[in-house]
Amino acid sequence: MTLMRLLLIMLLPAALAAATKIESYAVQLHATQEGQGQGTVTLSLSDCTPGMLVVPLGFSAPEALKIEESPVGVKLELGPRNGMTSLHFHFPEGMPAKAILRFSFAVKQVFQVLQLAPGEKSTLPKGSRLFRHAFVNTQETPIGTYRLELLLPEGFMAQAVREQLPKPKKHEVGPRVLLSKAAGHQTATLQFTDLHQGDDTSMVLELVPTQRSIGWLLAGLLLAGLYLVKFKDLIAKSRPVPAA
Amino acid sequence: MEKMTLSSKTREAQSPTERWMRYLGFPGGILLFLIILFLPPGAGLSASAQSGAACFALALVWWVTEPFPTYVTSLVLMLLLLVTRTSNAKAIMDVLGMEVIWLNLLAFILSSMLVKTRLAKRMALWLVVRFGHKATWALLAFLVLQLVLAPLIPATAARCVMTLPLMIVVATIYGSTEATPNAFGKNLMLLNLACISVLSSVTMTGSSANLIAVGLIQNMGGHRVYYMDWMRVGAPVAILTMVLMWLLGQKLLFRMKPEEQVPQVEGGLDLVRRQYEAMGPLGFQEKKAIAIFGLVLFLWMTDIFHMRWFGVEISAPFAALLGAVIVLFPRWGILSWAEADIPWHLLIFSAGAYAGGLALDDTGAAEWGVRMLFGGMNLKGVPFGVTYTVVISVMMYSHLLTTSKTVRTLIMIPIIITLAKALGWNPLSLALPAALCIDWVVGLPISGKPNVVLFSTNQFTVSDNFKYGMMTCTIGVLILVLSGATWFHWLGITPSFWAVAP
Repeated sequence: MTLMRLLLIMLLPAALAAATKIESYAVQLHATQEGQGQGTVTLSLSDCTPGMLVVPLGFSAPEALKIEESPVGVKLELGPRNGMTSLHFHFPEGMPAKAILRFSFAVKQVFQVLQLAPGEKSTLPKGSRLFRHAFVNTQETPIGTYRLELLLPEGFMAQAVREQLPKPKKHEVGPRVLLSKAAGHQTATLQFTDLHQGDDTSMVLELVPTQRSIGWLLAGLLLAGLYLVKFKDLIAKSRPVPAA
Repeated sequence: MEKMTLSSKTREAQSPTERWMRYLGFPGGILLFLIILFLPPGAGLSASAQSGAACFALALVWWVTEPFPTYVTSLVLMLLLLVTRTSNAKAIMDVLGMEVIWLNLLAFILSSMLVKTRLAKRMALWLVVRFGHKATWALLAFLVLQLVLAPLIPATAARCVMTLPLMIVVATIYGSTEATPNAFGKNLMLLNLACISVLSSVTMTGSSANLIAVGLIQNMGGHRVYYMDWMRVGAPVAILTMVLMWLLGQKLLFRMKPEEQVPQVEGGLDLVRRQYEAMGPLGFQEKKAIAIFGLVLFLWMTDIFHMRWFGVEISAPFAALLGAVIVLFPRWGILSWAEADIPWHLLIFSAGAYAGGLALDDTGAAEWGVRMLFGGMNLKGVPFGVTYTVVISVMMYSHLLTTSKTVRTLIMIPIIITLAKALGWNPLSLALPAALCIDWVVGLPISGKPNVVLFSTNQFTVSDNFKYGMMTCTIGVLILVLSGATWFHWLGITPSFWAVAP
């Protein structure tokens, strides 16, 4: 038993040194108004070694998985691993040390569907959507940078970032989730660096229609007009003397 | 002079301009609210941040033009934050339980004690007899008082509340009351408002936000800032600015009429002297008040030792709470609850203002505004002096966007350090001078806790505060830029203003 342990300790550094490294893991997800999503994942790898590389995927039921860019001979299949949906890449002999892997997938429902029990109060107004995403690195291979960019459907904007974890550390500039704009859509980008096995990051985003209720405009203009009429005495030259 | 009631009555509009502002302020606020709300969504702005900015803009217009009393505007703001889904009910309601609200409430109990025992009157009369031959020297006495207190008591609200009774009585002696405020009252209140905040930047322990900035400069910028490093750059800038404001306030902003420059009590300074002498020696109740106030003051000044001494830190509100318990204690105390003059309208105003400010911070609207300010400028390849001036100006005036010094520090200092690195400058050269601006929260009554307290005296308007605050900040920027080109450069903190990074 002791000899086995000794052998393991001696072999472990060599095995680690030879392991494929994931420099960056970037996901771009386009969501439609109906709730479908089309995702593209780009993995930047270094120290690639022939064999199998298992990578976690933060989406539970991806469909139409398709490799878009990879070195010749790389194969991809889905498989469960540590209770999560994972991607199993098979690297052939002669795999280049540095490689970019790009693949696409589809998701049937990217927004959370809230089922209210009879009599239960809704926590979201009509027309709102909730996007929830969590990513856990279930594998031994550390991930340099994980980045998920969600392109909001047309006609929607982020009401608020309800959750963004983990909290940014002191040396990190900016929030965990950054709102921006790309290709005419508002985007929400979740970014976290240096994910070791067991590390996780997540965001919850509430989406609302871009169009504001016209009620605000009507109520505001009505109030302003009423005030201008009813408080005209404020600027009258001879103002009534207030009662003592 | 015996009375120190903080009125909740709306100040009557004095001039035709003020009346027009009041008349147009209401629809103007609504219009601005609607414009911001219906603007196309900003790239990095969430809907809640946009509606938060709209609500805050409406409140700001109403606070400045005063179509309603300020506390009613605060109540409207709280309601708007809920119905626009900017904040949730709990976040809005919780504001009334914030440390600053409790400190205000408890400190007013202590102030009532000073007024009831006539200790505030005695101290004010002494101050006027000693320095008050001319109003200008009385104002200078307050500047010196705040300069002495600043390194001793880091809590700005505590410093404000302990000197407030003195300010009110001295203002009354010079004829400035809440019903008929005059230029002396404006100068006195606004000079103290600015001194309390600005002089906190004399030392790095002047506020907790300063210490956060020092930590960020060390962790992100790789430079350790020592106590004396901070003081030799912070003290000259802050003191020089306040001395200039002492002069400019009286000579330029709020010119005092000749009759306002001398005590306006019948009989003049002689009567003040006679009144002071007539008070006789300190009475038992006054001595008790000194002991209670001394205990609270001692706890405020020694907070860094509390954990070692008592095993628990007695924060500023809890030190005041202890004082209030003793003051209100049956038979042994000094006041009954009915005698405590607590300005609830001020607490409601503060709660609304803080709810609005926190909403700007929590929704990311403040951070977005700051990023837009920096992001819109291309500072690559420009001389250091230009970058330095831009950074100092943005840092100085950004206090108008947020009510929290800590939040502003956490947002701005990392951005400035990153910017310095990206442009090829030593992070210390921009971050340390920028950190000196953290405490200068003087632009609006809602910009800082002392501002909220002093605004309740009704001696100045929101626009008076804005004028005085903007002048203070502008002079601060000018002195900081001048120091950056000379004094800081000689100390080795900043490079030459004409230098261009490789």
